[in-house]
Amino acid sequence: MPSSRPVLHAERLSKKVTSGERTLTILHELSLSVAAGESVAILGKSGAGKSTLLGLLAGLDTPSDGELRLFGQPLSRLDEDGRAALRAGRVGFVFQNFQLLPTLSALENVLLPLELSPRAGEDQMAKSWLAKVGLEERIDHLPKQLSGGEQQRVAIARAFVTDPELVFADEPTGNLDADTGAQIIDLLFTLNREAGTTLILVTHDHALARRCDRCLQLDQGRLMPFASSDFNAAGGGQ
Amino acid sequence: MSDIPWRLAARSLKRDLRSADVRALFVALVLAVAASTMIAFFLDRLERGLERQAGQMLGGDLVLEQRSPFSDALRTTLEEAGFTLSDQVGLVSMISLGDRFQPASLKAVDDVYPHYGVSRVDLGQGTEQIAFGPSAGEAWADPRLAELIEIELGDRVQVGQTELTITGIVEREADQSGGFGNFNPRLMLNTADLEATGLVQDGSRVEFELLAAGPPQALDQVQELLGELRREGVEVRDVRVDRPQLGNALQRADSYLGLAGLAAVLLAGVAVAMSARRYVERHLDTAALLRCFGASQQQLVILFSIQLIGLALIASFIGALLGLAGQAVLLRLLASFFPMTLPPPGVTPLWLGILTALAVLVGFAGPTLLRIKQVSALKVLRRELDPMPPAAWLVVAVAAIVFGGLLWLYSGSLPLAIALLLGGAVLLGALWGVSALLLNAVLHGIKKITGTGEWSQALRLGARQLARRRQAGVGQLLAFSVTFFAMAMIVLVRGDLLSTWQAQLPDDTPNYFAINIQPSERDAFEQAVAPRVDTQSTLYPMVRGRITAINEQSPRDVVPEDARGDGSLRRELNLTWQAELPEGNQVVAGEWFSSETPMNEPQGWLGAVDATPQAEIVPISVEEGLARRLGLALNDTMTFSVGGDELTTRITSLRSLNWDSFKPNFFVIFPPGVLEQFGHSYITAFHLSDEEQGLIRQLVSDFPGVSLLNVDAILGQVRDVLAQVTRAIELVLLLVLLAGISVLYAALTASQPVRAHESGLLRVFGAGNRMISRIQGAEYALLGFASGLMGAVLAEVATAALYIYWLDLTPRLHITLWLTLPLGGALLIGVIGHALSRGLRRQAPAASLGLLGEA
Ligand SMILES: Nc1ncnc2c1ncn2[C@@H]1O[C@H](COP(=O)(O)OP(=O)(O)OP(=O)(O)O)[C@@H](O)[C@H]1O
Ligand SMILES: [Mg+2]
Repeated sequence: MPSSRPVLHAERLSKKVTSGERTLTILHELSLSVAAGESVAILGKSGAGKSTLLGLLAGLDTPSDGELRLFGQPLSRLDEDGRAALRAGRVGFVFQNFQLLPTLSALENVLLPLELSPRAGEDQMAKSWLAKVGLEERIDHLPKQLSGGEQQRVAIARAFVTDPELVFADEPTGNLDADTGAQIIDLLFTLNREAGTTLILVTHDHALARRCDRCLQLDQGRLMPFASSDFNAAGGGQ
Repeated sequence: MSDIPWRLAARSLKRDLRSADVRALFVALVLAVAASTMIAFFLDRLERGLERQAGQMLGGDLVLEQRSPFSDALRTTLEEAGFTLSDQVGLVSMISLGDRFQPASLKAVDDVYPHYGVSRVDLGQGTEQIAFGPSAGEAWADPRLAELIEIELGDRVQVGQTELTITGIVEREADQSGGFGNFNPRLMLNTADLEATGLVQDGSRVEFELLAAGPPQALDQVQELLGELRREGVEVRDVRVDRPQLGNALQRADSYLGLAGLAAVLLAGVAVAMSARRYVERHLDTAALLRCFGASQQQLVILFSIQLIGLALIASFIGALLGLAGQAVLLRLLASFFPMTLPPPGVTPLWLGILTALAVLVGFAGPTLLRIKQVSALKVLRRELDPMPPAAWLVVAVAAIVFGGLLWLYSGSLPLAIALLLGGAVLLGALWGVSALLLNAVLHGIKKITGTGEWSQALRLGARQLARRRQAGVGQLLAFSVTFFAMAMIVLVRGDLLSTWQAQLPDDTPNYFAINIQPSERDAFEQAVAPRVDTQSTLYPMVRGRITAINEQSPRDVVPEDARGDGSLRRELNLTWQAELPEGNQVVAGEWFSSETPMNEPQGWLGAVDATPQAEIVPISVEEGLARRLGLALNDTMTFSVGGDELTTRITSLRSLNWDSFKPNFFVIFPPGVLEQFGHSYITAFHLSDEEQGLIRQLVSDFPGVSLLNVDAILGQVRDVLAQVTRAIELVLLLVLLAGISVLYAALTASQPVRAHESGLLRVFGAGNRMISRIQGAEYALLGFASGLMGAVLAEVATAALYIYWLDLTPRLHITLWLTLPLGGALLIGVIGHALSRGLRRQAPAASLGLLGEA
């Protein structure tokens, strides 16, 4: 149930990068507000800047310009440490390239965020999340022994294991077949419904985007609403 | 396709030099080469310097001495071998000036004198350093002779049947032939005047010396001839064998520097092994891609070999240059120790350096590199197809064999290299097991910490991180242990070496010898000296005697052929008697005179059984070095001619003693009760502080017959050399420590990407700076602590072995080591690790994770 209290509020956010002598503007004065419990899909062409935006919104990166509030806190007033503290236990992140530690088993990878704020039954929680994503048989495997889709599911389990209020997911179903993808999507929205977890997703998957409360398109560094009719125009999903 | 590897290799090497692990590999190699070439260059020159110095003390590289002039045939042979020859004649004769007479040691030198070094002579314009002797018609006196018969420059002294003009006072002769054996004051003259003196006649006691200077090859060439000469009874002194005085100490310094060089190479090897691992891991993907594009296994091997050899060559070139510069610095430190310019360094150390770099690379990185060859193209699709890391034993075995080869190359001794290698291999094997156990134990212990405080949490997390690195953890532990071990060993040995030197020449080492103290003056002299000196040796009675028979046969027939010309057979020995074993002497075989023997009774040994004086055989104690040279053993009999009497003795004990102690030392000691009947005088040594120098004037006037020898100059020279060698050792020590720290740095850098990834993720999960740095700090500290502990075990075992088999020092337990190494290790690794990850902690996680790049 979207409530009126914004979990995240971005105003005139810009991101420029310089490589060599050229300055590249990836995001240009972009604004966005997401209410608690809302689910938002961000779509856009490859290279449009979706991953960059997600990183900025989660406070993993700093904008070149603009203001961003997370849980009501202006991020620009916090240092790297403060931003991390704000995230602790409240934000989950699924990376496009998974970012699993290669020397840790699937279970250990999922345990990692829990270990930062120890609580009883860590192991159980981690195992139950791996079970939810269908990997209960693979908990002792190292990332390189898992397929791409399996690694992605470990990354999803890791993002959700702390019961976060807000989850960012960068193409969470990108490597999954239709069936598994559908299961994961169901899982995400069950959580969204039952625990009120706010979801901000980057996706190419129209099936996923369609289930979100809101769809936004990133183009030329700006966000604009994505009309549901566009799904059809874009070819009805992949 | 055949030329593609070259271009590809060159290009990727250039790219590689930008990445941290390749740079670490590069730095490690540069250091290995720099350290080994520097030390090799330095040892090479030190060796030459020592030989030169020994040659200077002897008066030449080869010195022959006999009672008759040397034949022309011998001279020709030596000259053909490449020697320059110089003649010296030594004899004792009465010198007179007016009505003052004095027996003096005459040393006649020719125009070639001296081969090496300079004399310090006052020719009328103050003391000068000069490299020639008196010309014909002239003579130089030493200060003692000048004082005794009141010589002034320009005086004409009577020497035998001729008169010579005194034109110089010799403060120090360039060579030290003669040394302490002869306590007479000295006069130096020219050989051209010898005939006119009429002192050289058949039957007079004249020593002819032939001093030869030449290159080592010349010495090699005449070895056979020297053997023959020795058998003929010629006394032969060879610069390589007869190192005077400092020999022992410098030999140890030499060994130490060699050891330090090896430690540096070992350290570099560890660094190479660590970085190679990371290098290969990073290149597996490249290799797999190249396989996809159709490269063969062989091409891959060639490609990566070219890259690495290129790397090694560049590194060894830079390293060699650094080494060259380093040895110049070392030599500068030692400059005053080498009075003359040394020959420039040879090229051998350069080749040695390059060889070292290649060997270290092949030995420590080779097996790991072979993994690249096994990469399959499928790996591009399936990451789990990474070839397994090479078995640990293979890495260690190959590294050990290569290191053993280097040991052999550096130490020049195959058995030593093999022994060290086997010992090292066993130790490493044990260590591997112990590492795994230790790591487990530490982690197990940490798990029990249940506190919820930030520190205990950090410790728990740090331990878990360490445990999860599994193989890599044990590998790092091993690498750090070896690093700490090498560093600790070099520090320990240095400390013990220096304190041994310190103990050998303490501040109160005697700086005066008093000789020729008559029995009647003994007590008075003792009373005059005792209250004013810092230390004083016993007053030893001294009787001169000649060995006339060994086991009732002529000495020449019984001693080893090579010892026929030994000085102890050719000259009189100083004999003494003592009831107690002199300080600093140790009985190494047999037993010291038992106290029950009626040694102090008036009749003594002479009257014990029969009335005839020679009926009882006198027990004696012989110095072990002399015994070895002359082939003497316990219970052998020796007959001495003392004051015209023959004394038959039996060896009942062998002693070892320190010839560098600056105290009176004796080859042969009798029990009391035998020699008292012969004419004797006393000798003693004492230390007189600067403030008490006035005593000397008093002694000279109260005891005119007593000769006082000041050995401050020699003592100072010895101390100088030791001080300078100490400085060289400190410098090398510093170098090894730096190498060690850079190894730690390289190893930690190699593991940095993994840690960066981790800390980036932890940051995403909400860990703060404090938390991350505590977790990492805890991990580093644990690693450091555990490796320090193992390093201490290794160092203790290894130094004990070294002391016994190589450096000839007494092993001891280093308790502080067991504290400092684990704690210091924790601190050092903690600090380096902390410093390395500082930058990371400041970074936004997006950057440290490389969110946009590959995982
Ligand atoms: N640090 C950087 N330096 C240079 N260019 C950058 C940097 N970060 C992002 N970019 C560029 O910004 C653009 C947006 O990248 P981003 O990864 O956000 O795209 P994306 O929308 O996630 O694409 P995809 O759908 O392919 O994942 C890309 O062209 C990328 O090359
Ligand atoms: Mg992206």
